[in-house]
Amino acid sequence: MSADRSKFVFVLPGLIVLVAIILFPLLFTIRVSFSDWDVARPGLDWIGATNYLRLVHDTRFWESFGRLALMAVGSVLLQYMLGFGLALLVWREVRARRFFRVLFLIPMMTTPVIMAVIWRTMFHESLGPVNDLVRLLHFAPLPWLSQAGLAMMSIITVEVWQWTPFMFLMLLAGLLSLPREPFLAAAIDGAGPIRTFLRVTFPMMAPISIGAIIIRLIEASKILDSVYVITSGGPGTATETSSYYIFIRGLRDFQVGYAAALSFTYLVIMAISLTIIAKVLARAMLVRDRA
Amino acid sequence: MSALYRILKYAAILLWSAFVIAPFLWALTTSFKTANGITGGPTYIPWLQYQPSLEGWRLLFRSGGGGIQIGGPYLDSLIVTISASLISLVLGTLAAYGLSRFTFRAGFVRNADITFFFISQRIMPPVVLAIPFFLMLQFLGLLDTKFGLIIVYIALLMPIAVWVMVDFFNTVPRELDESAMLDGCSPFETFWRVILPNSKPGLVVAGLFCLIFGWNDFFFAFTLTFTQTQLLPVAIVALNSSVTPWWSLSAAALVSVAPLVAVAFVLESYLSRGNLAGAIR
Amino acid sequence: MSLVATELTRRVDGVVHLDSVSCVLERGRFYVVVGPTLSGKTSLLHALAGLDAPDIGTITFDGADLAAVPVWSRSVSMVYQQFINYPHLTVYDNIAFPLRRRRLAHAEIESRVRAIAETVSLTPFLERLPGALSGGQQQRVALARSLVKGSDLLLLDEPLINLDYKLREQLREEFLNIFSAQSRSILVYTTAEPNEALLFGAEVLVMHEGRLLQVGSAQSVYARPATATVARIFSDPPMNLVPGSLDDAALRLGDDVRLPRPRHFGPLPPGPYVFGIHPGDIAPNPSGIAAEVELAEISGSETFLHVHHAEMRLVAHLSGVYAYALGENVQIALDGAKLFAFTPDGELAAAPTSGG
Repeated sequence: MSADRSKFVFVLPGLIVLVAIILFPLLFTIRVSFSDWDVARPGLDWIGATNYLRLVHDTRFWESFGRLALMAVGSVLLQYMLGFGLALLVWREVRARRFFRVLFLIPMMTTPVIMAVIWRTMFHESLGPVNDLVRLLHFAPLPWLSQAGLAMMSIITVEVWQWTPFMFLMLLAGLLSLPREPFLAAAIDGAGPIRTFLRVTFPMMAPISIGAIIIRLIEASKILDSVYVITSGGPGTATETSSYYIFIRGLRDFQVGYAAALSFTYLVIMAISLTIIAKVLARAMLVRDRA
Repeated sequence: MSALYRILKYAAILLWSAFVIAPFLWALTTSFKTANGITGGPTYIPWLQYQPSLEGWRLLFRSGGGGIQIGGPYLDSLIVTISASLISLVLGTLAAYGLSRFTFRAGFVRNADITFFFISQRIMPPVVLAIPFFLMLQFLGLLDTKFGLIIVYIALLMPIAVWVMVDFFNTVPRELDESAMLDGCSPFETFWRVILPNSKPGLVVAGLFCLIFGWNDFFFAFTLTFTQTQLLPVAIVALNSSVTPWWSLSAAALVSVAPLVAVAFVLESYLSRGNLAGAIR
Repeated sequence: MSLVATELTRRVDGVVHLDSVSCVLERGRFYVVVGPTLSGKTSLLHALAGLDAPDIGTITFDGADLAAVPVWSRSVSMVYQQFINYPHLTVYDNIAFPLRRRRLAHAEIESRVRAIAETVSLTPFLERLPGALSGGQQQRVALARSLVKGSDLLLLDEPLINLDYKLREQLREEFLNIFSAQSRSILVYTTAEPNEALLFGAEVLVMHEGRLLQVGSAQSVYARPATATVARIFSDPPMNLVPGSLDDAALRLGDDVRLPRPRHFGPLPPGPYVFGIHPGDIAPNPSGIAAEVELAEISGSETFLHVHHAEMRLVAHLSGVYAYALGENVQIALDGAKLFAFTPDGELAAAPTSGG
């Protein structure tokens, strides 16, 4: 077999499997979104853009986007700042740093949905330890899961707990691969720690920062499991994200056609906004680099 | 470094450590409680604040009344995760090697576009795929089977394997491949006899990522399996009803997250050696 | 019994790597490809090995076209400038690797590996992994691996460039002995250093910007470089080139330097020329041209003196260590009998008579 032919032997099996598993469902979703498929009448009829016209006026859908944006951007920013801080803390000159590194990685290894179940017991209004801590600080116990703002905060807390380790991992790997010379140069110039960070560390970490933030934003935009377990979208629809709303429409109410239209719209909006965010981030962080 | 700075630094490290550990400690102490130890409000220290019991742990092997019979789901989770990870790793590594070493051209499509196609599958929200997957598996008669779930997980995990391995292979000098071919290896022999034996760091990291994401999935197991096949997260979340048996829930949670905590140690050792992707020399 | 390359041309993303290179390489002979970085040396080796197919051009071996023969079926070996070995195999297994791919008998492999290991002084290290060896030893392993299969074509791509000076000298010596024993292979060795080619005394191919500029014995290329470009490439430091003119009685360099017309220029017609002189043929001399020192580099027991006289810049290669201050005024003399003359478009017009 020639090199020209054998190269396909490497790539094609994976490509075919992936196309078969992913592309077919995606095309199918698009087709279904133009049908009236629901629990009463399953089938691929053609109703034109009716589902899309319906979703334009579906305020619950659009509100879920706002909440998703708040939740995703809020938690990813927190994760980035905390993860960067932690990576800097255990980067060098710390006792038992390998122990702390392992410890800081652990939450990322645990099953989000299982830890969410544990967190739910912790946020329990009367029986959970979180309110015990609140009482210890001489405040009144808070209804963590049954008040809109607090429920959002609870979910963000759990997300931060779960995924800050990922930022930590990426940023620490980045820090450990930085060359030494720029730091020596900064030290020779007499730059203090803050100046060194702003002028040397942060600019050199910009590319990996952008990568890590984008990966986390992509993952965060899919959030569903933890919402399902911790608040089930409640109270009311206060923590309902787009994924969760589509889940309810499609797999609870079994309005398959409408859910498909919602799915496709969601996918397109996500792809566009993530592309824009990636461009904006790259510009904002890399311009600093040149300054 | 001033003393104040040092104190603040260690205080921050310890504070975050406490936050990281809190859910585990809470689950650990709760797993030894009974209804009595819970309904009176939060308690932490056994014997002092509540009478510890092994009931929660015994329930892992019983059914009914808060029992969870964790053996079956544990085995199912292991089978599905390991099979899907292995298949993804094999397919993903082959594809990554091809994309790293050969030039593909088809119309406007280049290697980078194919690589992006592989990796971009991670952008797809599970909820978008759930209904078509459901109908697809139903059509194939694979709903509620381990095999059906493995197929779905391959699509989920292969992009991760491709992502890590393309990065890895790009750090392996091409001269190594050329030498092997000059020494009489066909492209496939080159891959098998020379490249693969020197790819352990990449394979370990890619494999671990596959295991993590496979083991930790909930949504597809939840929507595509019901009674015949039950994965750990689904079994545990099923306990999360209005009257939750916190003790067996906590015990089950600890047992199911334990194996991957070991992964953190392996991952850290690769981190400490300098580069996660791992270079060959 | 030869390898014939005809008009090899290769471009990658619009950049010319090889530009119509043709050459004939005979069995049992030793060729050194000389050229600066990115001159196309490595591209030529890749094309000869069959690793990269040329866009245009053919390669035949003993008359048979090689285009359809995949790399792994050819009889080619290559040693790289990086020390490329199989990191997961011991030195023994590394050397045995190509033989095992050919399914030779066990005893045959054993005896061949031991023999070649003895030649390159690796016998004590056979059970080690390459990563545990020094750079020089790693390159010996790569060399042994390329020699053991007795290929028709043995390619060495600047194999000594990543070694330190002393090791380089020592290995070069050993290479020469080993190569002289290879009577049936075609050896092609690339280097950026003309001195290496002169030391090997081999057939030289001079390359520049993907083109093959001149082919000939090392001594003949040095004595009669076909063009000014070859003259610069095949001289270290590069030959000094100064524009000037020639009339019946005298030779002018720059604006105001006049030298008597050298006898070896013979019947060269008057007119503008570019004159060349090897840095070794320039020396300080009280009766020479006044010049100002720009830089004096000392390397080992040699001094490279950079000077200028008005617009004319020259480098002199002096044996021995001399101290010069920057900006110091010196007198330097050009040996007229050692001057080369090139036409304004770079063709050799006259060269010093050899022996001088």
